[in-house]
Amino acid sequence: MPTLLAVFEEPDHIAAAARRLIDRGYDKIETYTPAPFPEVDDVVVPKPSPVRLFTLIGGLLGVVTGYALTLWMANNWPIMLGGKPFSSIPPYTIIAFELTILFGGVLTVLGLFLVSGLPRVKLDPAYSARFSGEEFGLVVECQERDVPEIDGLMRDNHATEVSVVQA
Amino acid sequence: MTPPPAESVAAMIRPAPVQKDSKVNRDLLRVMEGTSLGYWVLLHIAVFFMLAAGGVWIYQIYKGLGIAGYAHPVFWGAYIVTFVFWVGIAHAGTLISAILYLFRAKWRNAINRSAEAMTVFAVLTAAQFLGIHVGRIWKSYFILPYPNQRALWVNFKSPLLWDTFAITTYATISILFLFVGLIPDLAIARDRAKGWRKILYGTLSMGWQGTSKQWKSHNRTVLHLSGLATPLVLSVHSVVSWDFAMAIVPGWHATIFAPYFVAGAIFSGFAMVLTMMIPVRRIFGLEEYITDYHFENMSRFILLTSLIVGYAYVAEYFIAWYSGVEPEQTSFWLRAFGPYWMSTWTMIICNAVVPQILWFKKARTHVPTLFVVSVLINIGMWFERYVIIISGLSREYDPAVWGIYTPSWPELIIVAGSFGFFCQFFLIFLKLFPVVAIAEVKELEIHAKAHGAEGH
Repeated sequence: MPTLLAVFEEPDHIAAAARRLIDRGYDKIETYTPAPFPEVDDVVVPKPSPVRLFTLIGGLLGVVTGYALTLWMANNWPIMLGGKPFSSIPPYTIIAFELTILFGGVLTVLGLFLVSGLPRVKLDPAYSARFSGEEFGLVVECQERDVPEIDGLMRDNHATEVSVVQA
Repeated sequence: MTPPPAESVAAMIRPAPVQKDSKVNRDLLRVMEGTSLGYWVLLHIAVFFMLAAGGVWIYQIYKGLGIAGYAHPVFWGAYIVTFVFWVGIAHAGTLISAILYLFRAKWRNAINRSAEAMTVFAVLTAAQFLGIHVGRIWKSYFILPYPNQRALWVNFKSPLLWDTFAITTYATISILFLFVGLIPDLAIARDRAKGWRKILYGTLSMGWQGTSKQWKSHNRTVLHLSGLATPLVLSVHSVVSWDFAMAIVPGWHATIFAPYFVAGAIFSGFAMVLTMMIPVRRIFGLEEYITDYHFENMSRFILLTSLIVGYAYVAEYFIAWYSGVEPEQTSFWLRAFGPYWMSTWTMIICNAVVPQILWFKKARTHVPTLFVVSVLINIGMWFERYVIIISGLSREYDPAVWGIYTPSWPELIIVAGSFGFFCQFFLIFLKLFPVVAIAEVKELEIHAKAHGAEGH
């Protein structure tokens, strides 16, 4: 199966090309953009990133850990301090708050790694340094017989060049 | 449709075209290239101060805390002052990165990276002082709640424990924030670097390619980290302020402390960003990216927080008088006219009076003026913590136990060394990592190019 790489110069062009490819049923597409562009990213990946679930889980885990840790430790060896109750919720809320942030943040970054497939050792064969410059790359996997159609479609959408990627 | 003849597919395989790199990449990656004589001189000065302080610290570990200037009843001295100072500096980075991100203040893009880096280095510097201050450094892990033979747990009702959790969380989150923001820029550097740098950036960028999926999760991650870091940044200096406010020392026991400290932290943090970035911009010719507009916006923040800090100074005096509590009144009277009057007036003039010049647009856009103001604020904010801590402790309830504290030479060397420690990290960072967020600047540029005047 050949892989076609089209290069664009403007985010609107690559977004339009990607939308038309998806409309035609080519869903094995990938884009390389030098910066985040919602108009492109929302076409290729319409759903919100699942990273948000990780933040939620991390935050909940943190708040539970924070209260559990403090309450259990304070009662495991109860020492009376300043006549205050062993299970003092207000000061423990500070610990629970900090751990909510800590666990939430760490799990969010973990989610970023898992969702976006990092770390990876090898870069895609279609990727090149120009896409961390100012150009946009659109990669589509297709059948050999579809190559001319896709080539035409890309060029209609202002692709500056279209080439076949060698694996 | 018939498949195309084999030659036509082959004809479409072309050699990679000559790379035409973007101007933003070239301009911003250039900062990392080569090192001038001036750079080495600065780095050596910073390392010298750090090593001097390290030597003195080793001496202090050997001799004990007696070599510090502690004198009854003041046992929190220059180390704690400097700890609070550096924690305060650490607040600008997260404020710029997280809060301004949530407010969609696009001007932050030029300065967020350097401010985030300063945050990380300032937290690291501050954390050193907890170790230096406790004296018996080899027992400092006692503060952590770990299962031990004594079957004892830490006291979670103590503000010092809250501080431990706040500072470690803040250090972790700010490192993650800096790293996540760096990943796309490291990929840019990876694609252009050679030799050992290629290996370094290749490893750290972890195979980033800027696919839609990656950008989408990246955006989501930055948004959520900002959402988490915003309450965090407000909580960290609040917790630090409770180290004082929870005690019944006159001059400390005030409910205004948390907002007062947070405003002061943002104030000093912005001043430090200006102090560091004004020379960096000039030396590396980054005027095109870090413009006077950025400096002007930062000086507006400085003016606002200066007013809050100035208000807090006045409110403290008002409450001391209005409370009718004699030790409180005495403490505040002696703050301004007692043995520490010089520190107090330095703090008031540097933090509340000098920044008023920023009401004038001429001053906000005149870079040398901004530089001088920012340095004065740094000095003033160090003295603010000095005044709060020392003048509070030295004049408690019973005049019979009043005392005087003067920092000793080991303390002063260690305080000076902390600036070397901080600057050394920053100087190395300048040469290893992109000091301006390249991908974010590019995002704005490409949008502006594609959409003309309606760009953001």
